Amino acid sequence: MNDNALQAIVSCRHLNKQYGQGEMAVHALQDVDLDIRAGEFVSLSGPSGSGKTTLLNHLGGLDRPTSGEVTVAGHRLSELDKGELADLRLNKIGFVFQAFNLIPVLSAYENVEFILQLQGEHARQRRARSGEMLAEVGLQGLGERRPGQLSGGQQQRVAIARAMASTPAIVFADEPTANLDTAAMDELLALMSRLNKSRGMTFCIASHDPRVIEYTLRQVRMRDGRIEVDERA
Amino acid sequence: MMGKSGLLAVMGWRNLWRNPRRTGLILVAVGIGVWSTLSFTALLQAWSASSLQTALIDMTGQGQIHARGYLDNPGVAHRMAPPRASLKALLKRPEVQQWASRVRVPAAIQSAYETLPVSLIGIDPAREQGLSFIATAVSAGQPLASADSPGILLGRELARRLRIKVGQRIVLMSQDANGALAERGFKVNGLFSATRQAEKRYVFVGIRQAQSMLGIGQSITGIAFNLHNINHLSRFLGQLRQVVPKLDVQSWETLRPVAKAVSQLSNSFILMWIFIIFVLMALGIVNTLLMSLHERVRELALLQALGLRPNLIFTQVMMESALVVLLGVVLGMVLAAVTVLAFHNGLNLGFLARGSEWLGAGQVLYPRLNISQFLGIGALIWVLGFTASLLPAWRIVHRVPIEAINRSPS
Repeated sequence: MNDNALQAIVSCRHLNKQYGQGEMAVHALQDVDLDIRAGEFVSLSGPSGSGKTTLLNHLGGLDRPTSGEVTVAGHRLSELDKGELADLRLNKIGFVFQAFNLIPVLSAYENVEFILQLQGEHARQRRARSGEMLAEVGLQGLGERRPGQLSGGQQQRVAIARAMASTPAIVFADEPTANLDTAAMDELLALMSRLNKSRGMTFCIASHDPRVIEYTLRQVRMRDGRIEVDERA
Repeated sequence: MMGKSGLLAVMGWRNLWRNPRRTGLILVAVGIGVWSTLSFTALLQAWSASSLQTALIDMTGQGQIHARGYLDNPGVAHRMAPPRASLKALLKRPEVQQWASRVRVPAAIQSAYETLPVSLIGIDPAREQGLSFIATAVSAGQPLASADSPGILLGRELARRLRIKVGQRIVLMSQDANGALAERGFKVNGLFSATRQAEKRYVFVGIRQAQSMLGIGQSITGIAFNLHNINHLSRFLGQLRQVVPKLDVQSWETLRPVAKAVSQLSNSFILMWIFIIFVLMALGIVNTLLMSLHERVRELALLQALGLRPNLIFTQVMMESALVVLLGVVLGMVLAAVTVLAFHNGLNLGFLARGSEWLGAGQVLYPRLNISQFLGIGALIWVLGFTASLLPAWRIVHRVPIEAINRSPS
């Protein structure tokens, strides 16, 4: 393990993911090495099918590689069983997905509280922290609304508040702006950028949208399951 | 403070009402299942109780004592002495509600128009109160006043066949103690109404008249008795057998095997009904639960992605199922309570006419359920419904790929 890997919150080495076998095999990831350090604001970009979502899923412990190793906050994911992986995601990783981010039967408050409740936080602390997080993302006063009563941009902000609530080591966001209009997209990107700068939150965003990529401080561009470019702004 | 299980219960409860129509269908299915099972059980028990009561008052009682051989060949040849002090002491104990000595032999009855076979029963009318139907069944003329009464009671059906009315005379013939033909004329004192078979078969005279006619002195052919609590019968029979080891002591179950079979049959019907309900309910629950979960694959994947362990997702799904089945069970129990209460004063089967008699029951059934049966059957169906959810819940939770979170919304 080199120095980069030692300092990294998330790293992967020789990561391969193959779907199918023989002539029908699809190599979604091919020998990918990547380190993400604390406080970084990283984008994974590339054309459709380049492997950015697959890589994000592997780094977030949502999928198992065909070969290679992923390490998150010092834990080798290959050594963890399903339950331990769930615990790792609960305590170390935040997620913001393209859509369907929130639990529909819970209010915005409850969605944010959900993670804290699973972590065993006391009710009063949960409520206070949820309120603080919703205020941070500009949703004070909307906490009692269910996801269906919020706009797409507001839902994404609730998802970010939820991801922040557990103070994860890193937040993975998969096409978080794909379903938003321009104004909502700008607001969301500004929010993530501000949280990165003010709170030092580490973001890794998979997106093909150039405006998202412009916001990030490190751009990793993928093609055919390989990292083509990895540069810092 | 609401813990993880509280959170899962809240989510489960709210998930139920995301699709009110589907939840309503399960509620109705389970509710009807529970309602029908409880109502059917109450009705069958009423039928069983009525059949038993009909059998017991049909000159059977809860138990009988005879000379050995009488039950195989019921005639004066198998008579017995009147009860001695030791037997009387036992029959006078507080747990015995009523007992009566009887003389019962096959006979023939003759009118001016017809001669028919009957069962001649000599009774002490005062002792038949609470023991047999004849104490209250005389519907024309007068009941027998005492064991010495000179008259005879006929069933209405028998009187119709003999073309005899109250006050007219008939001749009764039977075999006496010496094997000779004994015959005596009786004036018809009254007519009784009972089951068709009883009306055709039985004729009642005072027991002393019967003893005198048959020349058997003080002898009798049997003793019938009832206890206050039929559940103590087995123990009491054992005590009787110790006191009169040379006599044949039998319970109603041996004397009326059909009544016993009806009781067992009703229990079998209840179990069979619960099984049918379980199968139908299980199919409904499994199908609905699978549909509901398949629609929520992305949501289940999201829960996994957020760090909810699979066993907690399984718990949440099972809570949903437990809640909806519980609601259905409560609904069914309320409906069943209303149904049973509606027939509290009796369900008249008069429209079945003699059909109810053929079923072995009286014309009026009294559906009843005690609280332990009520709660027990409700709990059993809840557990069965819950059990039916286990497999689909386990399958869906363990087969939902976490990558499903990335699927396009449908």
